[in-house]
Amino acid sequence: MTSIMVVDDDQDLAEMLGIVLTGAGYEVDLVNRGDEVMPLFTAYAPDLVLLDVMLPGLNGVEVCKLIREVSMVPIVMLSARGDKQDVVAGLEAGADDYMVKPFDPLELVARMKVRLRRSAVEVNTELCIGNLKIDQIEHSIIRDGQTIALTRLEFDLLVALAKEPGRVFSREALLSEVWGYRPATDTRLVNVHIQRLRSKIEINPEDPKVIVTVRGVGYKAGVPGNSQ
Amino acid sequence: MKFQLKPPLKAWRSSLVFRVTGTIVALSLILIWLLGSALFSRVSSGIFNEKLTLSILDAQSTARNTQIQLTFSKYQDKAALTLVFDDILALPPRTFEGTAKEIAVFSFANIDDTFKFDGTSNLLDLKSIPETFREITRESNETQWERADLIYLDGSTEPGIVVGQDLNIAGVGKYEFYVVFSLAQQEKTMTLIFNYLLLAGIVLTFLIGLTTYFAMRRLIAPIQDAARVAEELTKGNLDLRMDFQGEDEIASLGYSFNEMAVSLQQQISRLENLSKLQQRFVSDVSHELRTPLTTIRMASQVIFATKDTFEPTVARSAELLISQIERFESLLTDLLELSRFDAQGAIMEIEETDLVALVKETIEYIHPSQDRIVILQAPNSPVMVDVDHRRIKRIIRNLISNALDHRENQKVDVRIAESENEVSVGVRDYGSGFNYTDRKMLFERFWRADSSRARSTGGTGLGLSISLEDAKLHQGEIEVWGERGRGAHFVLTIPKYAGGSIESRPISAQL
Repeated sequence: MTSIMVVDDDQDLAEMLGIVLTGAGYEVDLVNRGDEVMPLFTAYAPDLVLLDVMLPGLNGVEVCKLIREVSMVPIVMLSARGDKQDVVAGLEAGADDYMVKPFDPLELVARMKVRLRRSAVEVNTELCIGNLKIDQIEHSIIRDGQTIALTRLEFDLLVALAKEPGRVFSREALLSEVWGYRPATDTRLVNVHIQRLRSKIEINPEDPKVIVTVRGVGYKAGVPGNSQ
Repeated sequence: MKFQLKPPLKAWRSSLVFRVTGTIVALSLILIWLLGSALFSRVSSGIFNEKLTLSILDAQSTARNTQIQLTFSKYQDKAALTLVFDDILALPPRTFEGTAKEIAVFSFANIDDTFKFDGTSNLLDLKSIPETFREITRESNETQWERADLIYLDGSTEPGIVVGQDLNIAGVGKYEFYVVFSLAQQEKTMTLIFNYLLLAGIVLTFLIGLTTYFAMRRLIAPIQDAARVAEELTKGNLDLRMDFQGEDEIASLGYSFNEMAVSLQQQISRLENLSKLQQRFVSDVSHELRTPLTTIRMASQVIFATKDTFEPTVARSAELLISQIERFESLLTDLLELSRFDAQGAIMEIEETDLVALVKETIEYIHPSQDRIVILQAPNSPVMVDVDHRRIKRIIRNLISNALDHRENQKVDVRIAESENEVSVGVRDYGSGFNYTDRKMLFERFWRADSSRARSTGGTGLGLSISLEDAKLHQGEIEVWGERGRGAHFVLTIPKYAGGSIESRPISAQL
């Protein structure tokens, strides 16, 4: 059974989330304090973490960084403010997605499903993007024989771009394809994750060759062999 | 202190120092010139009159001496007479001051040929004695004088005075006797005095100019300082103050100015604190309200999911609960957004965006199925603008949803037009419209065009207020036209480039 860790200091909200998520068929662990997350995280090894930003003990952004140090588990931040600084800080700390309170529980579950789904394994497809090889079976990225560790979201983002090398993806298109969003949502999510991804896979993130920016439109995959 | 050379006209208009110094220099020039010329004419007439008096005395005594000399001379013929005259003319006695004088003698016309004699001393030309003056002298018995130029045989001339009288020699007849005095010495003195006066005038004018300039600079420096400090204050550099010393009027200006700056700074920091407090409050309210709302929303959805098992009234209650929570939520979101504008805490995230694509997306998002209702008329090529994507999208969404709410089964026209630096998006519906006189009220919070049937359409009543604030953040505007029964036309116009302003409107709201 898929297990979800819910971290929120509001006990009523946490309980309600528990009810909704249990109803959706997940196993739920509730945590109320930021500084209690890490021991429980190592003990339970959840498949996904729902993380509030404002937490007693240790705030959500810090918790997110700690989790990222040890795991690539999907993290969805829950933000009460929706203010840019909070959201961007959360995403930069390694969160895959965020929901602004008050959120629609159905949408939350839908987004969680996207984060939890395994990419359908397409046999015999070895994708290339820039000078990188994407091994979809092993879920790994290889550059010059070396494996680069990516979160599942980053992997999905890269695969989405690599599957259609000629296509220019608008931020909205990436949002709906990778995050499962309806249109007209926040495109900062894409910007922050593209930056994080670039810092991992580009040789020079200032001059990206693998994920190329198309000014005023969006992003597209770099041409193999053209990166160095 | 830096000196800049400006074109005189510009300096005259822009610099008080220059203007005052210029005026004072001009005035003192006129005054000094008047004074100087009065002084000069007094001095020169004094010098001349003195010379004249002496000359007349000198001439009279010379004439007397000559008369005596002639009277006692024994001469019967012209040769003897010539000898006497030559003697007199050869060595004209010196004047009292020791300067040179010349003598000229002419015999009257009626004198016997034997005793005719015309002669001058030294190299004096006979022409030196003007004919008109000779006539005056001949006809008068008194001593006469006139200014005349001394002409020498070598061609040189000198200014001078001619004093003339008659010599009456018994038994022979009358002679004209002229004594000519050179004014060269006086002329030289006058030139010297003139030069000194001129020099004094120039030096005086220059000194007055210089003194005025520095006095004005000193006077104006605190004013310039005040202007500079005021400019810095305007720029937001509130810690700057004026320097001043002493207790004079300038110091009191500085003191009052600094008092003003302090009070300004206090006011501003008070307002800033208020604004910070407000922002803090907004963010706290946000957090405190949002968390329970999330819980309520989830709870209502759980209840709603099982509404089929409820009695009809309870099921309907669950539906109402859900829809009202949604309304509450959008109201909260809008209110918080407005509070952020009020606290001036709204942050822009500018990025280059294709406005045509953005409008297309928005139309699709609002109205995915019925694309026959909203008709877009836009340039074929992208219209790139520097905007906060989210805010512009929100404005467009608001305007289009508004039009759809009031369209009364008519189509809605959306038009995009651009000029060099501006772009407009016009949204026109042909529905119920509004009274044109109400157009300002439309942007007021919670204002409804028709209060009796208002709330059926669902909006929060804050959409247009937020849109207007969003437009203002972009230095843009929303123009409105409307008429009851004929529909409404809302036009958003924004500058294409960040930091620009609107100079023309590619679309006008007026039809």
